[in-house]
Amino acid sequence: FFEEAKLIGSLVSMSTRERIKAIQKMPETMKKKREIRNKVLKEITEKSRRHRNQCDCCAQCLQRVAVSYRRFRNTLSEYFHLLQLWQKTLKVIGGEFGTGVLSYFIFLKWLLTFNIFSFLINFSFITIPQFVAATPNNLSFMGLELLTGAGYFQETVLYYGFYTNATIRKTEKGASYNMQLAYIFTVGIYFVICLLSLVFSMAKSFRRNFINPQMYSGQASKLLCTWDFNITNEKAVKLKQKNLSTQIKEALFEVNREVLNFSLKERFVHIVIHLAAWVASLGTAVAACAGVYFLSIHNLELFMNEHKNDLENQAAMLVLPIVASLLNAFIPFFYSWLGLLEKFQNPRHQIYVTITRNIILKISIVGILCYYWLNIVSASESHCWETLVGQDIYRLVLVDFIFCLLGCLFGEFVRRIIGTTVCVNLGMPEFDIARNVLDLIYAQTLTWIGIFFSPLLPGIQMITFSIVFYVKKVSLMMNCQPPRKVWRAAQMTTLFIFLLFFPSFVGVLSVIGVTVWRLKPSKECGPFRGLSSMYAAISAWVEILKNYSGSKWVVWIYQNFFESALFFFILSTILLIITYLYWQIIEGRKTMVKLLREQIMNVGKDKMFLLEKLRGLPTARQNLSVP
Amino acid sequence: MGNKQTIFTPEQLDAYQDCTFFTRKEILRLFYRYRDLAPQLVPLDYTDKPDVTLPYELIGSMPELKDNPFRQRIAEVFSEDGEGNMTLDDFLDMFSVMSEMAPRDLKAYYAFKIYDFNNDDYICKSDLEKTVNKLTRNELTPEEVTLACNKVIDEADLDNDGKLSLEDFQHMIIRAPDFL
Repeated sequence: FFEEAKLIGSLVSMSTRERIKAIQKMPETMKKKREIRNKVLKEITEKSRRHRNQCDCCAQCLQRVAVSYRRFRNTLSEYFHLLQLWQKTLKVIGGEFGTGVLSYFIFLKWLLTFNIFSFLINFSFITIPQFVAATPNNLSFMGLELLTGAGYFQETVLYYGFYTNATIRKTEKGASYNMQLAYIFTVGIYFVICLLSLVFSMAKSFRRNFINPQMYSGQASKLLCTWDFNITNEKAVKLKQKNLSTQIKEALFEVNREVLNFSLKERFVHIVIHLAAWVASLGTAVAACAGVYFLSIHNLELFMNEHKNDLENQAAMLVLPIVASLLNAFIPFFYSWLGLLEKFQNPRHQIYVTITRNIILKISIVGILCYYWLNIVSASESHCWETLVGQDIYRLVLVDFIFCLLGCLFGEFVRRIIGTTVCVNLGMPEFDIARNVLDLIYAQTLTWIGIFFSPLLPGIQMITFSIVFYVKKVSLMMNCQPPRKVWRAAQMTTLFIFLLFFPSFVGVLSVIGVTVWRLKPSKECGPFRGLSSMYAAISAWVEILKNYSGSKWVVWIYQNFFESALFFFILSTILLIITYLYWQIIEGRKTMVKLLREQIMNVGKDKMFLLEKLRGLPTARQNLSVP
Repeated sequence: MGNKQTIFTPEQLDAYQDCTFFTRKEILRLFYRYRDLAPQLVPLDYTDKPDVTLPYELIGSMPELKDNPFRQRIAEVFSEDGEGNMTLDDFLDMFSVMSEMAPRDLKAYYAFKIYDFNNDDYICKSDLEKTVNKLTRNELTPEEVTLACNKVIDEADLDNDGKLSLEDFQHMIIRAPDFL
């Protein structure tokens, strides 16, 4: 009873929102929670009654306003829930296939929000003003443009080349809109927001899922914590139970036999096999990159030599994207086969190694293409190199999308037909989560690079991602069975967010950085025509600002923070010092955790000792009392 | 304010909203699900707080629960009489804790109670054996079950009393981010 009074006292002193959260979190029955809540509310009204002498109607009014505001916020949050895309679909998928497969669809939805946001701000800040100052389009529209992105589309808002470098004015003395600054700042601010969002997601995910990786592969957690209460489908439940029993049997079998000490020769053979597999995979990646590079140079020659509007030429431009997508589709099979050959002792390691190899392949292909675009296309004598790059990226994105749909068709539909009719012991295919997520990361990397050269590309990617969501969902329901192996969804999601950040987003930032700072924009098209570098637009703007007395602070900030190297040096030193301090704090906490665990064990031992002693007491007392 | 519904008084709805993780609409939807299980038993007017309990057989036949191997334990833990017969309050409580908005420590507390078959606030060896059998559909031999249970107790029992207390269990859950 005393505890209850203390609890009520602490609840009364909290703010309303905290109090509601605390009551919701209490592990009591609803009846008890309602009693406590009513008691707390009574206390609060009594307290406010005591204070009523001061300001009678004011306090009552405030209270009423607070209550109706809370009700309004509740109704608003209900309507906000309606906006959440696909909630029911996600629940159904989670119910039938578990959280592993669900994490792929959640990742897809998250990437879709990036694209929607980018499309909205690009469209409002860059495209709509451009419509006001548009030049007419003289080219004719043939059907092939949808695939190649060239032809009619070249003179539309789709590409960088169409945007004007003028300051758009509606009337003579009216408000003006500087297209150059708008372009750079819109893209820049979007990337800053993306960066912050990625860093925060990564940190949150890491903190939740990697708190203490030791003790992780314990059998206890496998037993008691892996039952996925989300699953509601009977088949999935039976399958999950079978998996758990197989896992427990395997784990026990490992425990029963002695840890095999591999002889020196066997260990040597293992290392040689691993090295050979790595050499083979890196070799294939390098060969793929070389192929893509030479093909793209050939492509550029073709483009420069012949005239652009020939149908055959346009079809020839599709060869590079098709080859790139074919490489991305078939080399991972080779990597999986290598993984099977290597016979890893820990299946986790196999997954990680395969993911690493696939990421190396995809990032090197994107890297070699960026090198080609930034060094060769930008230095070529074409009319508008940025539009060329934009068209290349458009084609890559589109062909990748088509291959994704084809892969779904053949990889899952045809495989299921084969697995159920012709070759029954293969069974239904499983949904390959890692491969699909890496494909998504690849597509998103291309889109991010393309935002600068083709501002409406996120809109196209928005549509493709939505179609991919539905196609994958239908294919999953029709063709796949729930996964057989344990898939640690939380850890793998953190890994995928990290992969999205580190090679993918950081690479995109470097490419855009090089484009804006180092490369010379084309002379005849785009918002930066005629300048020595795209960044010169900002420097020119700051020069103009120097003449206005009201904006001297902007000039001061620019000169001292962005142009001086000393500032970045000081910033880096401070960041390094803070990182070192945090690292030391973590080390200290680890030692403390160890000491506290020992303390708990000692307390337990003391308890057992005292219990034994207590059990021995009555007999001792009997011996004493009976003389 | 808002929809005119006559099932609950506004104060009752406010109380439900404060005590569970659901919004008004969700609470009303859950009430209709509860009523659909036995329309003749559940009145449409809850303003006078009628005392209606649905038997376990009806609860266990819900599509969300009927394939879950732990459905009986779940119903027993959340029901007032401990037998699985649930009032509307218990029903809302159960779904509130199982929803995705409930924090992990709350779920860990209830998971502990679900796995504690003999309700003695400790997960002892027999509780663990029953859990393992339910998790694997009786596919393991009794020796394997015993071995697995011994391993679990060895690893998770911090104070060495041969059974898992709530603190041991919560300690384990913190390190397992896949727990749902």
